[in-house]
Amino acid sequence: MDEPNTDLIQGTLDMLILKALSLEPMHGYGIARRIEQVSRGVFKVNPGSLLTAFQRLERVGWLDSEWRQTDKSRRAKFYSLTRAGRKQLEVETTNWNRRASAIARLLRAEG
Amino acid sequence: MSLWRQFTRGLRVLGNRKAADRETADEVSHYLEEATAALIARGLAPDEARRVARLELGGATAVREQVRGYGWENRVDILLADLRYAARSLAGNPGFTGVSVLTLALGIGASTAIFSVVDAVLLRALPYPHPEKIVRVWEQAPDSHRMNLADPNFDDFRTQSDTFADLAIYADWLSSVSGGSEPVRVDIAEVSSGFFEALGVAPSRGRGFAAEEQRLHGAPAAIVSYGYWQRYLGGATDLSRFHLRLEAAVYPVIGVMPEGFDFPAGVAAWIPREFDPILSRTAHNWRCLGRVLDGVTVAQARANLSAIARRIRNQYGKKVDLSDAAVVPLADALVGDVRTALLTLLAAVGLLLLVACANVAGLLLARTSARRKELAVRAALGAGRGRLIQQFLAESFWLSLAGGTLGILIAAWAVRILPAILPANLPRQEGVAINAPVLLFALAAIVAVTVSLGLFAAWRAATGDLQEALMAGSRSYSGTGASQRLRGFLTIGEIATTLVILAGAGLLGRSFLRLISTSPGFSPQNLITMEFSLPAPQWHMEEPVLVRQIHLVDDILTRLRAIPGARTVGFAGAFPVAAGDDLADGTFLILNGQKPPATFDEFERMAQNPSQAGHASYCLAGEAYFRTMGIPLIRGRMFGEQDDRNSPHVAVISESLALERWPHQDPLGQTIEFGNMDGDLRPLTIVGIAGDVRARGLDFPPSPIIYVDYRQRGVNANASPTILTRSAGPAGEIVSTARSIFHDLAPDVPVKFSTFADEMGGWLADRRFLLLLVGLFAAAALALAAVGIYGVVAFSVTRRTQEIGIRIALGAQRSAVVRLIVGEGARLAIVGVAIGIAASFAITRLLSSLLFGVSATDPITFAGVAVLLCLVALLASYIPARRAMRLDPNSALRYE
Repeated sequence: MDEPNTDLIQGTLDMLILKALSLEPMHGYGIARRIEQVSRGVFKVNPGSLLTAFQRLERVGWLDSEWRQTDKSRRAKFYSLTRAGRKQLEVETTNWNRRASAIARLLRAEG
Repeated sequence: MSLWRQFTRGLRVLGNRKAADRETADEVSHYLEEATAALIARGLAPDEARRVARLELGGATAVREQVRGYGWENRVDILLADLRYAARSLAGNPGFTGVSVLTLALGIGASTAIFSVVDAVLLRALPYPHPEKIVRVWEQAPDSHRMNLADPNFDDFRTQSDTFADLAIYADWLSSVSGGSEPVRVDIAEVSSGFFEALGVAPSRGRGFAAEEQRLHGAPAAIVSYGYWQRYLGGATDLSRFHLRLEAAVYPVIGVMPEGFDFPAGVAAWIPREFDPILSRTAHNWRCLGRVLDGVTVAQARANLSAIARRIRNQYGKKVDLSDAAVVPLADALVGDVRTALLTLLAAVGLLLLVACANVAGLLLARTSARRKELAVRAALGAGRGRLIQQFLAESFWLSLAGGTLGILIAAWAVRILPAILPANLPRQEGVAINAPVLLFALAAIVAVTVSLGLFAAWRAATGDLQEALMAGSRSYSGTGASQRLRGFLTIGEIATTLVILAGAGLLGRSFLRLISTSPGFSPQNLITMEFSLPAPQWHMEEPVLVRQIHLVDDILTRLRAIPGARTVGFAGAFPVAAGDDLADGTFLILNGQKPPATFDEFERMAQNPSQAGHASYCLAGEAYFRTMGIPLIRGRMFGEQDDRNSPHVAVISESLALERWPHQDPLGQTIEFGNMDGDLRPLTIVGIAGDVRARGLDFPPSPIIYVDYRQRGVNANASPTILTRSAGPAGEIVSTARSIFHDLAPDVPVKFSTFADEMGGWLADRRFLLLLVGLFAAAALALAAVGIYGVVAFSVTRRTQEIGIRIALGAQRSAVVRLIVGEGARLAIVGVAIGIAASFAITRLLSSLLFGVSATDPITFAGVAVLLCLVALLASYIPARRAMRLDPNSALRYE
């Protein structure tokens, strides 16, 4: 655990999960891997938080789940985005971009 | 949408927790497998890969628990688990649980039962439309005394007021009614127009009174009650064939009131009666009720009538005795004095519930001390304060749920037997039942008990140092000094509360004793009473009718006197002790040698002069009445054979009247005029003075009474004839013989047989009821307080076992040990009693109106209950003290 920034910024986990699922349905480990790969190892996802987040997002109605065969013919729980989830992803992305650029501007001004 | 999803998913998980858990476990293990596979793919050895994956995951179980902990259903799970645990832990301690549940059941049951009465009598709305607009109206004298209405005053009220939708007068009395399946003696009401409109109720069958019936001397008509219609008219649909005969007149039945309509209470039939302008403004014969107009308050209505009353006063001056009017909502007027009594009961039972709770709190406290270690371990393992509080709430929830359920069963049983002990004169008692508001009350009590006990226990458990509790050896089993002190405070509170209830019960008890030992002025033992009504008593009776009636009474008396076992048989115009106004009363004239008035107008004029007018009750009687009742003749003579219809009329007056009107003169030989009572203007000469009788009731001062001879005045309209028989033999035999005598001589006359003790008992019933219940509550509180003291002292003995062992080993006398332990209980008792007495001084004042001959701060009562409570406390602490005294120092020293 010597890599920096393994912890996710509070509240971004949901967005990352939604983003990871925006291409295709995936199972839990797949999602974790995708977040790790795409962020080039900056974000490491805690499995416990991840699985709990699935529960929460499913309850809210952004995710659907289904037990399916994997390519290795094992049973796994696959998550997919619902229409509400897709909309939520858009909203969160917009918000995030707005906030991120605001912070970037602030940092530039300080410098 | 998402709330709904939350709810249904949560429910699904709750419904099948195992499947949900399996699913989570599957997901976690799949995750682990994938992670391992990925690591192997990166080139790690399988074993190493599995280890690293597991490390990354951070423990499968922990993850499962984390996922499982999500969602509201998890909280429900925890709650259920706490409830299960609480139930098991209570079941494992049956002594504590049993005592607590029974104590709470007693408190909740008793308060629920009393609340059911309070609800029916005080809280529930009257069964009329917009009952808040219905009011009772009185004339009010300058001394604030309320009087019924006189006809002309009522007419002024009605015609001049502009705040009433309806204003009506009514009166009811016992009468014999025939025309149904059998003649009966029942209550009849005369009502004016507007009566049923004011109440807002119309007959459910037939019709109401028509215009030609609602005028002076109009066409006769009667409306009967549902009960009378069912019982005596067979519930017939065709009313036209029924004619009621009452007071020698015939009334066709025109309507039936709906079931449940009962105003004035107990009335079987209503007949119309309208305003009679010839009557005097001081003849207060009518009760009055009205319905105020929409948007008019009771205060406005009162102001309106007050102004009219003042106008009447200004116009007629001394000829009227009103100066104001009183207007009171009907619901308040009906309940009257009962309010104080019922609120007293409710307060007593509330205090009892408080004592019960304090007792259970004491028990809980002892239990909490015993469980200190368990709690400390749980806290050390990470149970949050919230979880601990929830645990205690779960326990107190079970306790109060069980206690409350049992309590409601007790209340349901009590409500079944209550009618037998409720005083007959308690209004609206037929509505007493366990219904929704009563159950709600019980539920509120249960919730209050749960929350207060649970939080109390949790608060106790949460205070104090964790470490200290963990480190304290098994000796901490006996509880810390702080919790013992708190139990002491609880017990003091219990004792103080108990003393308040005891003081209330004591004051009521002493009032009751005072009351039953008050001499009514006669001896009430072995008296059989026969109330009846003769046909056709009227204001002006034809001479032959009058004479025939006197003969009938004489004949009945002669036959009754012949019954073996009937020692003396007397006749009177009224039942001698009555809760109501059985004796008529009015103004009489003292003639002082003047010519008696020739007309009633002249009578009225002469009565304006206060020096020659007096006020007294009018009682028709025979000479034997005084002997039968045991009323002594103080001076002069009784009625005798020489007093007949044609000889000068005579009167016997009561001692209090003699003292009041002739304080410095001899009343014997004075002539008075009391013809306004019976329509006979012949003057009366006072020939005798008889002992005082408390005619209005034992708690009223003796009424001034003028007795007149029925053989001179006749059995007139102002009499409710009663024959009294002092019996030597069993009452049953005499009654059955008397019944057949009445049947022979006057077959149409209904008679009500009773014994004097029964009538008086009924009259004292409300006081007896109040005393009985408050006494019961006081006894229950006393028992609980005794248990509380016992608990504290016994606990203290356990805690101090070693200390006592050391004392004994060092040579302490056994009596010194007893003193030590009993002293502990006595200290609690003395402090509790002191606080209780101070509180009682403030509280018992509220009882004043229920007391008789005893002050609200009666020192004897207070001293008595204080001594009683102290004795009980000493007894309760003596039992554990004896145990302490018998301790074997050897084992006590080794006691852990």
